[in-house]
Amino acid sequence: MTYKTYMTFLPLLVLFLLAACGKPSLPTSYTQVNAEPDIWPDYRGVTVPPNIAPLNFLVDSVEDVVAQIRPQQGEQMVCGGKANKVQIDEEEWHEMLASSRGGSLSVTVYTRQGGKWQAYKPFAIHVAEEEVDPYVSYRVLPPTFVGFDELSIRQRNLTSFEETTIYNNRLITEGLEGQCINCHSYQNYRTDNMMFHMRMQHPGTMIVSDGELIFVNLKTEGMISAAAYNSWHPSLPIIAFSTDHTMQSFHTRDVTKVEVMESASDIVIYDVKQNRVQVVLCDSAEMELFPSWSPDGKWLYYCSAHYKYKDKYEDTDELLQQYKTLQYSLYRLSFDAASMTFGQPELIYDAVGKNRSAVQPRVSQDGRYVLFAEGPWGLFHIWHPTADILMLDMQAGQLVDTSPMNSQLAESYPSFSSNDRWVLFESRRDDGNYTRTYLAYFDRKGRLHKPFEVPQRDPEFFRLFLRSWSRPELMKEPVRITPRQFRDKALTEPVKVN
Amino acid sequence: MKNEMKKVKERAETKAKGNARPRKQIPFPKSILPVGYSICFAVMAWFFLYVRNADTMYFLQDRGWWNSTRLFFDTCTSVPGGLLAWAGAYLTQFFYYPALGSAMLIALWLATFWLAKYAFRIADEWSFLLLIPVAALLCSDIQLGYWVYILVDVDYVFCHPLGLLAALVLSLPFWRLLPVGKKVKQCIALAWMVLVAALFYYPLGIYALLAAVLTVETLFDSGESSAKEASPLRGGLVGSGGLVVSGSLLLLFLTLWLVPKLETAGSLLMRPDQPWMYGFRKFELDELRDYSLEIPFYVALVFPVLFPFFGKLRTGKLLYSQGLMLVCAAAMILCLQARDFTDYNFHAEMRMQRAVEECRWNDVLGEAAKVTGPVTREMVMLRNIALINRGELCSKCYTYNNESVQPAIVSDSIHIRICDQAADLIYYNFGETVFAIRRAMERCMHYGYSYYTQRMLAQCAIVNGEPENARRYLRLLSRTTFQRKWAEATLPFVDNGKPLQEDERFRMPLRLYNEGSELVGTDDKYVELTIMKKWMYTITEDPVAQEVALGCAMMMRDRRCFWSQVQQHYNINPAATFPTHVQEAMLFEVYELKTSGVNLSFVKFDERIVERYKAFINRLKQFASQGMNEKQIGRALRPEFGDTYMWDYSVLREVQTN
Repeated sequence: MTYKTYMTFLPLLVLFLLAACGKPSLPTSYTQVNAEPDIWPDYRGVTVPPNIAPLNFLVDSVEDVVAQIRPQQGEQMVCGGKANKVQIDEEEWHEMLASSRGGSLSVTVYTRQGGKWQAYKPFAIHVAEEEVDPYVSYRVLPPTFVGFDELSIRQRNLTSFEETTIYNNRLITEGLEGQCINCHSYQNYRTDNMMFHMRMQHPGTMIVSDGELIFVNLKTEGMISAAAYNSWHPSLPIIAFSTDHTMQSFHTRDVTKVEVMESASDIVIYDVKQNRVQVVLCDSAEMELFPSWSPDGKWLYYCSAHYKYKDKYEDTDELLQQYKTLQYSLYRLSFDAASMTFGQPELIYDAVGKNRSAVQPRVSQDGRYVLFAEGPWGLFHIWHPTADILMLDMQAGQLVDTSPMNSQLAESYPSFSSNDRWVLFESRRDDGNYTRTYLAYFDRKGRLHKPFEVPQRDPEFFRLFLRSWSRPELMKEPVRITPRQFRDKALTEPVKVN
Repeated sequence: MKNEMKKVKERAETKAKGNARPRKQIPFPKSILPVGYSICFAVMAWFFLYVRNADTMYFLQDRGWWNSTRLFFDTCTSVPGGLLAWAGAYLTQFFYYPALGSAMLIALWLATFWLAKYAFRIADEWSFLLLIPVAALLCSDIQLGYWVYILVDVDYVFCHPLGLLAALVLSLPFWRLLPVGKKVKQCIALAWMVLVAALFYYPLGIYALLAAVLTVETLFDSGESSAKEASPLRGGLVGSGGLVVSGSLLLLFLTLWLVPKLETAGSLLMRPDQPWMYGFRKFELDELRDYSLEIPFYVALVFPVLFPFFGKLRTGKLLYSQGLMLVCAAAMILCLQARDFTDYNFHAEMRMQRAVEECRWNDVLGEAAKVTGPVTREMVMLRNIALINRGELCSKCYTYNNESVQPAIVSDSIHIRICDQAADLIYYNFGETVFAIRRAMERCMHYGYSYYTQRMLAQCAIVNGEPENARRYLRLLSRTTFQRKWAEATLPFVDNGKPLQEDERFRMPLRLYNEGSELVGTDDKYVELTIMKKWMYTITEDPVAQEVALGCAMMMRDRRCFWSQVQQHYNINPAATFPTHVQEAMLFEVYELKTSGVNLSFVKFDERIVERYKAFINRLKQFASQGMNEKQIGRALRPEFGDTYMWDYSVLREVQTN
């Protein structure tokens, strides 16, 4: 290219770059529509924490979209202009949220169709006073049933869009004989004490104890299986586990698709420092599952289904015929830390009496509320379209109205944030198949608000992503052990319990 | 001045050389040789790719996956070699039209050939050697056999040719053209080698390392050595050896430094135990590894390392080079011929699967009728699907060959079953959409997403009444190059409530879905057995679905179910005659197998069927009295009675299911 050519094209290039960097502007002429816009994800009227990442969204079947976001005080923001997507500047968003704590944002959406602009009725995004824990971790997997070829546990910074891998099973295995990784959990939302299991290839439990990585084989003689669903004691180096035999069968017509059952289950506790397992519950006529410590450490909550085999213990054929009768209620045991002893089971919620099945209890920090998932039967409610999240007010002895956060499709695996103001749960409300993570505000008056899907940089992400985000857990900090360190540890022989 | 002197000197040398030759010899225009090699190779590649393997190539693209979303790009590029995989997946799509895909692939190979010839200054008469790696890649496409079902690469066909081309492009010794001294050029080359390995390993995987190795070689072959330096001993072997060793050490050091960096980033994935192997195709399934299928990739990777040395080959006599060329060509053709997986059933299965998906029932039955030898169980199932859709299951199923064999094996490596092949397609067509989803999902998990599974999942979701789920798959399909049309044609069934019965793809699956019973269980990978068993126990009032149930009971030779279904057929069609094979089965059951307690008085038998049955039994007894064994009797009866239930029952003794 000659100098002359450069000089001819340079101004054009500068103009192009300026145009590309320019901020979108509001249309000057438009038709007013007397309705709120259909946006995806649906963030209309939601309540969000003041530290959440931008709520990017899209509008279907439009050529262009611009959104005007106005705080009650301060400067407005105009964003969009990227075809049908509104992607908000992170810095400006956080500034706006910081100035709107306890208030709300008003969002007016303008769309262009057939060259003509339309303005919709503004909708509100309420900003709570209380923040949510900044990290969430989850399993990422296809909604598959048997194979473990591709599984990872990842963590996402909720205040931004940063996502990193905690562990990916492809660091060790490839192919059909994969490695199942599951049941990640943390002590008090911190990652210096955390764990997750590995199954199939290099089986064992990966435990981080006071920052030190250990790999343990938790299967002892007399235990049904290696440890499974778990909960860290809030202050002691103790993890409660259920130990169980899992089986699954497939429906031929029902969109539920699969039934997961436990043919036997007990509850044990594992002392991380002493490397010792202690049996807590092992009644052969009871299937105890999902242990969960109360935040004061004085109670161990769990669910249990009463089932007596007719002829043979763990007759899976029989269980397959009777799977609808396998229903769980919620119980708790008192715990004396000094003597490491437990009290008698106390029924706290009789789901069976209602012909329902309640599982996965999680207790609020103040000990007053118990969150759980309830479905028609069984324990894997994410496969049951009618499953909902319920909340028991232990003080009032009644259920809190959770209808604002439930949907026509499955909800499951609820938990509280460390300040009790946010409920994290998983749901298949988008399409019935792919699990997504939601947050709902639980205000100081004990009311639940409309939940919102964890926002993504590309608002279309969850529509295109053919993996589930399952078993979400909030954390105050990211996991610092690297995937490589977990991998290297997994290649060592796991320590046997005493 | 210096240049002029050089030119004069060159002219004088040329003249002297020219004078040495006998004047009468007309020099052969060697420049046409590479053109001839290109044409011959293109013809050969076209023959193997398109003429012989168009169905395989279509199938490979159909089990591939590419879409225009950023998410797909990010997913691909999260592992080393990812950019190549993404580009390979994009181009593999073009085998949707096998002729187009074949033409593109051949063009890419020829581009590689000419680029290598230019880059390494290969003499025309020796340039045929450059075709060896691309011929190896051609072999890699046609030798797969049943591995096509379990390939994890969505980019298989184009990834490696692109990798080879990229390696050649990256190793182009551009520094030769720079107006700098030799030492500077060597420094640039050295730096370039490091850069290629460091910067391009992530996008190109192992092909970046090939590019680095080729750069090492071109480094010592700068083409400007003085006569003294160019002596084989001083400038050649020692120099090249030293540089190759030092370059390799540098690469190793670089990778050791690079790998942990990439891994600790947390968003990328690299197995620390095999950091060098990304982009290399391994044929690994659990414990098994088929090295024979990997040979073409070793050739494609190792042979180019010799390219710089080919550049030194010069010969005055064409006899040597062309003699070797003929030997190479013959070996190449023999190799391709030997490795081409020509098993008839293998190709027929792929054609039948596509025809079933596109509801071309006549084509399915045409394929089934063409087979002369034993068939696979998948072919039987696909044929039965076509018969069900034409309402001929119970009247035609024995007119086709039911004698079965296991799918042929490739290099004694894998043993494929229906559940690995088209289990989802078969389940779907029997209305078992949940099992179809299960199998499709498992396939995605094991072997990656594909256009095929996305279409299957979309159809299952539509029949199941899961519109949002269907929309998800259709949305993704609409972001592909060739599946958009399919997605657009399917969307009205989700968005506009277009009746499913109006479309052949949904008509029968929906009907069977609605009539099928709800059970909870698993298939234990026995697809055919699961379907047959479920349907033979299904009691339905729907005449179409009932014929399926009756057919399954008949084929499974379960007496109790068969007679229950016969009764049900009569209950819902009292005025109708029973289908041909059902009449044959009833006669055979009662009169030959002596089933007691059956009253046939209500059955209106076709006289021709009764006569044929009697003739069969007479012949059977006659042959048996002559001392013929079962096989001999079967063979003797086949021309006349091979299309009857009786022959099938008597000769194919065991019910064969998969």
